Amino acid sequence: MNTLHTKWKGPTLLLALSALVLLFFACGQAETTEPEIVTLRVAVPTFPNSLDASVAAERNAQNVSWQLFDSLVWANEQNVIEPALAERWDVSEDGREYTFFLREGVDFHNGEPFNADAVVFSWERGIQPHIEWSDRWARAESVERVDEYTVRISTAEPDPLLLGVMAQHWNMVPPLYTQEVGDDGFGAAPVGTGPFQFVEWVREDRVVLERNDSYWREGLPLVDRVVFRPIPESSTRMAAIQTGEIDIVNRLSFEQADALERVNDVDVVTYPIDRVFYIAFNNLTTGIDQPTMDPRVRRAMNYAVDRQAIIDSLFGGRAQLSTGLMTSSNLGYDPSVEPFPFDPDRARELLAEAGYPDGFEIGFAAPAGAYTNFEQVAEAVQGYLAEVGIVTDLDIIESGRFWDLEAEKQLPPLFGDSWSERSGESLPRLRGALGGWDASFSAWSDPVIDDLLDRISVTIDQDERAALYRELHRYMQDDPPFIYLYVPETFEAVRSNVRDYIPRAAEDYFLMFTSLD
Amino acid sequence: MQRYLLSRVIQSIMLMFGVLILVFFLVRLTGDPARIMMPRDASPADIEAFRDAMGFNEPLPAQFFHFMTGALQGDFGRSLHYRAPAMRIVLERMPATIELSLAALVFALIVAIPLGVIGGSRPGTTWDTVCRAVGLVGQTVPNFWLALMMISLFSVTLGWFPTFGRGGFGSIVLPAVALGLFPLGKFTRLVRSAVLEVRNEDYVRTAYSKGLLDHRVYTHHIFLNVSVTLVSIVGVQFGYLLGGSIYIETIFAWPGVGRMINEAVQARDFPLVQALAFVSAAFIVLLNLLTDLAYVLIDPRIRYED
Repeated sequence: MNTLHTKWKGPTLLLALSALVLLFFACGQAETTEPEIVTLRVAVPTFPNSLDASVAAERNAQNVSWQLFDSLVWANEQNVIEPALAERWDVSEDGREYTFFLREGVDFHNGEPFNADAVVFSWERGIQPHIEWSDRWARAESVERVDEYTVRISTAEPDPLLLGVMAQHWNMVPPLYTQEVGDDGFGAAPVGTGPFQFVEWVREDRVVLERNDSYWREGLPLVDRVVFRPIPESSTRMAAIQTGEIDIVNRLSFEQADALERVNDVDVVTYPIDRVFYIAFNNLTTGIDQPTMDPRVRRAMNYAVDRQAIIDSLFGGRAQLSTGLMTSSNLGYDPSVEPFPFDPDRARELLAEAGYPDGFEIGFAAPAGAYTNFEQVAEAVQGYLAEVGIVTDLDIIESGRFWDLEAEKQLPPLFGDSWSERSGESLPRLRGALGGWDASFSAWSDPVIDDLLDRISVTIDQDERAALYRELHRYMQDDPPFIYLYVPETFEAVRSNVRDYIPRAAEDYFLMFTSLD
Repeated sequence: MQRYLLSRVIQSIMLMFGVLILVFFLVRLTGDPARIMMPRDASPADIEAFRDAMGFNEPLPAQFFHFMTGALQGDFGRSLHYRAPAMRIVLERMPATIELSLAALVFALIVAIPLGVIGGSRPGTTWDTVCRAVGLVGQTVPNFWLALMMISLFSVTLGWFPTFGRGGFGSIVLPAVALGLFPLGKFTRLVRSAVLEVRNEDYVRTAYSKGLLDHRVYTHHIFLNVSVTLVSIVGVQFGYLLGGSIYIETIFAWPGVGRMINEAVQARDFPLVQALAFVSAAFIVLLNLLTDLAYVLIDPRIRYED
């Protein structure tokens, strides 16, 4: 028995050693909690690349960043433009010149005063080509100081989207601090005028913000601290909201949302987002001389696909049928435009009328791994098209490569993709997807559409613009440049004690209104 | 010995050179970063201006020259996505990955060594069956699946450990166990078969015939010989672990280099991918070197003659 006992000596030593190592880790980091501070903990699915809104690469980084900043104007939940750092503004007769009267007595978090010089400086910084969103700043041709609290902003042509773009992209930055720390330093420790101010950013782990006590919107924000935690895996986000380690999570799957509906202390938040999924046609390069040049064929293909069945089986019924590449929250969306019904007989009739009674063969591509279940959607579309005799050669391509081919206009004549928009209007999306050779990701050009888009983009009057959108909406149903698919819903969850968390269709949110019971 | 050491160091440096060259050209096959970085509705002219500003329009040989001269001075350029020096970002993430890798390795070793020794010394017994089962399960169960199951049981249902993140001892337990599972299986099998083999060696029989006690034969004759094999495989495994685990770090939101690799490749962040590849390769080369040297310390029969 003795031998059995002693031969364990070696391993025992190792075990003791390991225990020591583990103990070392244990002592290394102890977390302190300060119970009196109300902290809102928000999970984001990606890691912010920068906290400077002009460089923040995607939606989640933008959301973190915009808690720190203000623009001259603000878009409310109904997407109506309201005053922010500008108290009011005048527009010139020709619609090309805006005079903004700035709010007085506002300071940046570091104490620098906000004034006309800060606006001019922010714009001059924003238009530099290395700034990712420079094209948004460059919508203005010039930004001039009139006096300390007045700036004049002019555009080359009347630009009805200017105020909306300013609200979404023009983060006001303090000139002295920004020059002192440079672009990198600013992205790592930003200073704005916003409801929260920067505390720390432990890269890939957490961004901590705290209440700006002298915020110009009186009484806001309602919580003392906000901590953003990047959690890339949705199953982990789901677990973290269940355990209460996190108060707000987004980008869940519908299965996860269904499961969370049954969990106490967790509320599910669902809303349609401003993103449209479609199968695009090509009339610029690979689609020339293909049957899809005939509008009857394109209409037939819209009739051939049972989109409701796709939505029901792949998204649990939680998506909306789309029409005209617009979503219901967009200006000028015409609810009287009915989505194409599923009618394979009508599809066959139209194909016969166009001279293809036996169908035809055509190339088809979709990106891999880019969107939830999108490969399956493409396969379902392929199946439905085959039912009416259209045989597609479906090529599912790695998404990076797919988008390169899309930009080179070298995808097959049919390709599936999606397009999101945050300005509340469908104009940038329509321009981007239908702008022909002038747009990087467009494979379609139609003079009627071009003409309508040109008119929309210089018409300032909201009602007139809405009427033009409606005209375009109906036209795009008669002569569809896409097989319209669906507008997805997004699924988020909050702890039951979270009040007034109001995400918008662009998946953006402002936490200054949010509180904890 | 010194000459051997010198030649190994020179070989390693040349290897790292090769890695730099290979990585530089491979990442450029993945496509154009400007298109991914710019807004989707940007015009071709905007994208071109951005490309110019970022230096992507320089001829490839010029880009390569800049890269190599920079890299030799430790400057791997600026990350396109994070807008900061690439090497600094990688080195900021390394401590988290080293911590997790060490914890996973320690966990694997403290389970695998005793289990493997028991199994190998008593072939055919229940202990041996357990040992073989652990070896098989460890190497075959996908660690991301185990990770999700453990979160569901230990974090959500029982509330014993945090679900995600780094901070405090509790936070490392689940990721270390999940990450350590594969090396655990591997080590267990290895130790078991090595013990089985060494038990039948002449020198073990000699040791017994000298009248040595069982435990002395095990510690001085069997385990020391097993450890030569073990050290070589531990070195290699540690190198792999330091490269970062994309799955485990992603699932547990562990702020290491593993999950950054995925992002860097997706964003076509050339400088960052280059810095990551260089650091991972450097660790593997270094660990190989150390492993070779460790042999000399453990096994007096191994000598690198001049």
